[in-house]
Amino acid sequence: VAGIEIPQKQWPELIASLLSNIHQVQPNVKQATLETLGYLCEEVSPEAVDQDQVNKILTAVVQGMNASEGNSDVRLAATRALYNALGFAQVNFSNDMERDYIMRVVCEATQSTDVKIRQAAFECLVAISSTYYDKLATYMQDIFNITAKAVRGDEESVALQAIEFWSSICDEEIDILDEYSSEFTADSDVPCYYFIKQALPALVPMLLETLLKQEEDQDLDEGAWNLAMAGGTCLGLVARTVGDDIVPLVMPFVEENITKPDWRHREAATYAFGSILEGPSADKLAPLVNVALNFMLSALVNDPSNHVKDTTAWTLGRIFEFLHGSALETAPIITSENCQQILTVLLQSMKDVPNVAEKACGALYFLAQGYVDAGSASPLTPFFQDIIQSLLFVTHREDAGESRLRTAAYETLNEVVRCSIEETGPIVMQLVPVIMMELHQTLEAGKLSTDEREKRSELQGLLCGCLQVIIQKLGAMESTKYSFLQYADQMMELFLRVFACRNATVHEEAMLAIGALAYAAGPNFSKYMPQFYQYLEMGLQNFEEYQVCAITVGVVGDLCRALEDKILPYCDGIMTQLLKDLSSNQLHRSVKPPIFSCFGDIALAIGENFEKYLIYAMPMLQSAADLSAHAAAADDEMLDYTNQLRNGILEAYSGILQGFKSSPKTQLLMQYAPNILNFLDALYNGKDMDDTVMKTAIGVLGDLADTLGVHAGPLINQSISSKRFLEECLASDDPLVKESADWARVAISRAVSG
Amino acid sequence: MAPPPPHRPYKRPAISDQQRRRDLALQAQSARRADAQARARSLANSLLSPSSAAADTAVE
Repeated sequence: VAGIEIPQKQWPELIASLLSNIHQVQPNVKQATLETLGYLCEEVSPEAVDQDQVNKILTAVVQGMNASEGNSDVRLAATRALYNALGFAQVNFSNDMERDYIMRVVCEATQSTDVKIRQAAFECLVAISSTYYDKLATYMQDIFNITAKAVRGDEESVALQAIEFWSSICDEEIDILDEYSSEFTADSDVPCYYFIKQALPALVPMLLETLLKQEEDQDLDEGAWNLAMAGGTCLGLVARTVGDDIVPLVMPFVEENITKPDWRHREAATYAFGSILEGPSADKLAPLVNVALNFMLSALVNDPSNHVKDTTAWTLGRIFEFLHGSALETAPIITSENCQQILTVLLQSMKDVPNVAEKACGALYFLAQGYVDAGSASPLTPFFQDIIQSLLFVTHREDAGESRLRTAAYETLNEVVRCSIEETGPIVMQLVPVIMMELHQTLEAGKLSTDEREKRSELQGLLCGCLQVIIQKLGAMESTKYSFLQYADQMMELFLRVFACRNATVHEEAMLAIGALAYAAGPNFSKYMPQFYQYLEMGLQNFEEYQVCAITVGVVGDLCRALEDKILPYCDGIMTQLLKDLSSNQLHRSVKPPIFSCFGDIALAIGENFEKYLIYAMPMLQSAADLSAHAAAADDEMLDYTNQLRNGILEAYSGILQGFKSSPKTQLLMQYAPNILNFLDALYNGKDMDDTVMKTAIGVLGDLADTLGVHAGPLINQSISSKRFLEECLASDDPLVKESADWARVAISRAVSG
Repeated sequence: MAPPPPHRPYKRPAISDQQRRRDLALQAQSARRADAQARARSLANSLLSPSSAAADTAVE
């Protein structure tokens, strides 16, 4: 209730009356009050509460956390309340004295005798590390000591939070350093304090120690999370933060432990090595990986421990992910000589226990990905048939339901197909009836239990996903496109039956596959429309699973390009639904920009027949344009969304203008021209559009001049866009912006000169 | 107190293949939209260029 009423100032006395309870003697009242304050801070946004009240809440909470508070339930409730109240403490964290006090109390709480309080206090430290990273410099030495003590000696739930603190600092520094190196901003609002680099000599040994604390069979438990896992994950983040500097600190540990008799040592050494493969430079890592590769391949086959084999296969996957492919063309780690051995080992490992086989599939995924640009030089080509057969064999294993093995096998099959070349097209073609048969079999099952239905949906999703990738591949190659389309009827029949099973993920996958099929089939796809249309409409109505809605909107675009004016009979229904979607508060905002783009797709496909939708679509476009042109973007995420919205609106205008081109009804658009030009001028004046918007915007100017011609000449002449904006785009370094601007220049000169 | 976030992914790729399929489909759609626009514009250009009359005759 407070979440609704406080922002509207309808319950001003609540916080004061809660705070008055704090002075009560009964601990249970204090505890309940602190819990309520915690919930309140969780629900209400910081802007809705006055600073005066924030100060009082924080004072009450921090007092409750203080070591002098004798009741541990009260202290725990206060510590948990602080976790939620941290977002309110911006002003207090900017004040040295107040911040010192809060930090002291939090650090003291990490030393409580109550494990729950210690855990909650470390959770506060984690939250502080991301919210107030730039205020931490003076506390880092103390925090290191506290966290090191917890990692080495405290209970696991506390130690995990202590590691999470360092992972979270890494997240912050990775983001900041990313911004430093970004070619657009080359700067960051928050400076990097290089805490990780400074802590490195002590932090890395602490993390390496955790790697030896594995649990037996942890790889068999999907939900497992323990000290060794958290420590290795943190080590990986540290490597990404500091790059080359981590290598000399980790390699002695790897060399010392990799051959020891105890599997824990071998696994920890392998995990340490695998963890630092992202971050350091290829120059630094390549010599080490060249030495390690043979050892790893041998361990994957011969090590007696499944756990070691699991981590070894994962490490090979990381080698292929980060140290293979176009980045290392001059001195490749994988050569035509060792490729066959690598493949032999991986295909053999795919027959190992499920968790090892899953990681072997993962390694093959990245091995294939590295050859995406290799063309006919890909050394995988001679083994293509074997690879496909091995992956299909894995999908049929009786234990493929364990360790996500079946999913991994299909995903790898997808990547192998995506990265395949024309030469292996016939082998991919042979996959079509095989995968279709599998999908057919899932539809023939009789009565199923809930559990069985869930498993069937998962498999259907994987099969539809696989078909989508195959359709895209075969549909894009001239040598296979036409022979592949012989399967289109059967495939559509299967997809339509899949829709009848009613499962959101499967719908999304089937929808994506149909979009790809429509693009490949072109106008011939119209024969499927009468049956397919109901599912298309159902997708557009799916507000709850907005991903399904978003994908369906994209498929409408695919259909427009495939069917062109043959989509006309379905446009009333589609436009009605799209307009409803745009007006809905329920629908996730990310779907709205693509809906505008979709207006453009429809208009371009049906041309002047879009006339009857103008009175609905144009006012919507205009109000969205006004909103997005003057949107004050609070942060990068909002600016990014605003630019997506602008791009969608502009694509709609472009499609509509081009759709009406050469029609006798062109003049219907004249009334909208001033608003479109105002929008372009506002974007130019706003100075916060990205290159994509710039390209689309200047293209719209060209489309407007091209379609409306001399009638719009005087209007165009008055606009800023036709002069300064156009000049700026013509001088752009971005070839796409320049290309659009060249088009606009030619079209404008025709319109203006008459 | 909000439930602590689920733990970080362990030995799993950062994005799923399903997300990759979505992203690639969206990328392909936007590339095809750009192609369709470019085709419409180049058609407009060719219709208005001096050689268009010859081109039209040839089509017929």
